[in-house]
Amino acid sequence: MRISSVLFVCLLLLSCSDKKKENKVTTPVVNKEDSSAKPTPEKSINSYSPIDISPMDMSYFPADYPKLKMSTPSIKPAMARVVYSRPHLQGRQLFNDVLKYGEAWRLGANEATELDLYTDATIQGKKIKEGRYILYCIPDRDKWTIVLNSNIDSWGLHPNSLKDIAQFTVPAAMTSNAIEYFTMIFQPTATGADLLMAWDNVEVRLPLSF
Amino acid sequence: MKKAFVFLIVFQSIFTCLLGQGNLPPVDKSPMDMSYYPANYPVLKINDKITEPLAARVVYSRPQKAGRPIFGGLVKYGELWRVGANEATEIEFFKNVHVGAKKINKGRYSLYAIANETSWTIIINKETDTWGSFKYDAKKDVVRKEVTIQKTDVVVESLAMAFEKSISGFNLVIAWDNVKAIVPFNF
Repeated sequence: MRISSVLFVCLLLLSCSDKKKENKVTTPVVNKEDSSAKPTPEKSINSYSPIDISPMDMSYFPADYPKLKMSTPSIKPAMARVVYSRPHLQGRQLFNDVLKYGEAWRLGANEATELDLYTDATIQGKKIKEGRYILYCIPDRDKWTIVLNSNIDSWGLHPNSLKDIAQFTVPAAMTSNAIEYFTMIFQPTATGADLLMAWDNVEVRLPLSF
Repeated sequence: MKKAFVFLIVFQSIFTCLLGQGNLPPVDKSPMDMSYYPANYPVLKINDKITEPLAARVVYSRPQKAGRPIFGGLVKYGELWRVGANEATEIEFFKNVHVGAKKINKGRYSLYAIANETSWTIIINKETDTWGSFKYDAKKDVVRKEVTIQKTDVVVESLAMAFEKSISGFNLVIAWDNVKAIVPFNF
């Protein structure tokens, strides 16, 4: 009985100290500009390629396609994939600490966020041919403009608008829970998939039909 | 009763940690990364400083040593190794290249290796968009190349890959723990 009470108090203390730690991060170590330019603890010991503070990730449609392929070898080819880096809030608020309304944002960090379409897709009535593209956005309070651009294999800063292929305006929704790391996933819909982009308490969906 | 309450709290805190991102994917323990040849091509591109055309890119996940012996330990000698974590490590060529005498057409491939004490066998395989090396099929190999390995001066904590220029093309340097392998590609 007494042990469990002690455990309980310890847990409470632990969770409190965790909270304190989080609150302490008032001066962000990273900004949206360029995380790889910032020193990371690993730099001194990994001269080949230090781990980035905004780690890269990828999402497929169908979701978890590489795993599905293991269990179902006869599966049809994947339809899309996004490869992006994941900046995190670190105590900041998305608006206006990290992003500003009306200012272009790279939808990621470091290398430009890449959308690979393995088959032709239709977005808001516009046909987009299969191939590699990069994405950036112009966020606003209640809607975001998502831009598809052909300047692939580039770095996310200074998007070259001369190479824009298409722009799509999509509504921005508020969510109840805050997402620490910028997240992109595909969610299936009746006609294809939404590319869901979530960060902090904002959620944006780009609908793709295949 | 109290015990049950404590367990509830413990489980709740575990779940809160696991599901910190709601139902969205958390950041991976072995984060993904990419390297280009020419090195830093994306940065060169936006600064108009490209001096040679894009040739290759590797996209891989980066497991950490975390105090473990890697070669001969975590990575068993003589066994197929995925050279990464999670999604199969992807190597893409934007132009045709050669490994030894073998021509490799531009395109996407998966990369595997078999580590031994003094050399590694590097494997480039046609099957892409797959997970790890669990469904590896040797029939889909494009090339196998044995490369000698070197000891690194320092311990490399996270698996690292980088491209460097060579006389006849470029090398892919793969480093982890105290070992590095250099894989030569020629144009």
